[in-house]
Amino acid sequence: MIKIVHVVNQFFAGLGGEEKAGLPVGVIEGSAGAARALETALGGAAKIVCTIHVGDNYFHEHKEAAIKTILDAVRAAEPEVLVAGPAFNSGRYGLSCVEICNEVANRMEIPCVMAMHEDNPGVGVYREFANSRLYCLPTAETIAGMTDALSRIATLTIRLARGDEIGSARKEGYIGRGIRRLEKTDQRGAVRALDMLLRKLNNQPFESELPMEVWDDAPPAPALAQVKDRNIALVTTSGVVPWGNPDKFKTYRNTYWRKYNIAELKELEPGKWEAVHGGYNVAYMNQNPHYGVPLDALRSLEAEGAIGPGKLYPAYYVIPGNQGSPTVMRRIGQEIAADLKKDGVEGILLVAT
Amino acid sequence: MSKELEKAGLPVALISAMFPVAQQVRANRIVKGVSIPHPCGDPNLSKELDARLRREIIQTALRALEAEVEGPTLFSPAIATGG
Repeated sequence: MIKIVHVVNQFFAGLGGEEKAGLPVGVIEGSAGAARALETALGGAAKIVCTIHVGDNYFHEHKEAAIKTILDAVRAAEPEVLVAGPAFNSGRYGLSCVEICNEVANRMEIPCVMAMHEDNPGVGVYREFANSRLYCLPTAETIAGMTDALSRIATLTIRLARGDEIGSARKEGYIGRGIRRLEKTDQRGAVRALDMLLRKLNNQPFESELPMEVWDDAPPAPALAQVKDRNIALVTTSGVVPWGNPDKFKTYRNTYWRKYNIAELKELEPGKWEAVHGGYNVAYMNQNPHYGVPLDALRSLEAEGAIGPGKLYPAYYVIPGNQGSPTVMRRIGQEIAADLKKDGVEGILLVAT
Repeated sequence: MSKELEKAGLPVALISAMFPVAQQVRANRIVKGVSIPHPCGDPNLSKELDARLRREIIQTALRALEAEVEGPTLFSPAIATGG
């Protein structure tokens, strides 16, 4: 019988939502939560030896300890394949899936299967790892795609456990890792290149054998000399907005930003502000909005001269960052930059949750 | 988002508890935040220490804006954080 270990977050282990995101690593014998559904999808061809769960915040805040505990549990279970997720568009979950799989694949030399939406930030890290033992299947954005995701995970997992040859990403449907594979063909390179060129000249579709890497590497903006004489603005993805959420931000996938005036304020009074964000526990932020918009600290540094008089921009910018698609966040960044430059701002403090 | 601001020529000090991710997505000036639900401060501390920690984090961010960097660089506040 094929042995599988399944890694999920606290939510998919059935232990609770955001309020439980600080839960450390736990191991449950057999299948629990989403793993139970995976076992059904595996249809008796494989057995889930144990379900490992870790809180979304705990993993990122105690990464070394979390990975060590998980590795110990996986070693003890001796699976043929590790499965993690599906994480859909949950950023912290997607990232922890990729990092756990990468460690397990490197240390234990077993294949690992995960699944998430292509906009999940975990996909960027997966591509960066370019680890030939990792396979990430694309999913829908939300849990609505669960059944489909589990059935595809199950199929790939069984094939990997049997030692089947797995073809290219394009052929098999997993997300490409940017790994070049050697293939035999009876046509030499010159012939293939000319064939491609002719197709291109005739406006016919063609597939390059060496897709160009698209690098989005922004060179660092130059440093600011004498920051105390510079115009500084605060931007945050924490979702802290005036109480009542006047601009109707959603807790996820927002598509616009707003700025709120703080010119006359010395601090943000609890109860007059709230955090709108579906990706972390907002209780602390609601108790003390300074955790996302540190106005008290900025005013105190202003009083001491570390920030020049009138140099702090009179409003802060906000968008709840949860599940923001990279395309939207790029546009938001461009819009905020244009607005700030128009008003002569020179440097930015960005608080991200 | 941080990258688009930098592309426009505005240096960004990114305060985040998920600093390894910030490094992986190649943000350039990264300041170590305390924890995901409370990057600027620590509710486990007394009110006074919490405010001091927050000030230290912002001072570190201002120093980061003054620093010439060539790629992702992590700046750690001098006060130990709880997370």
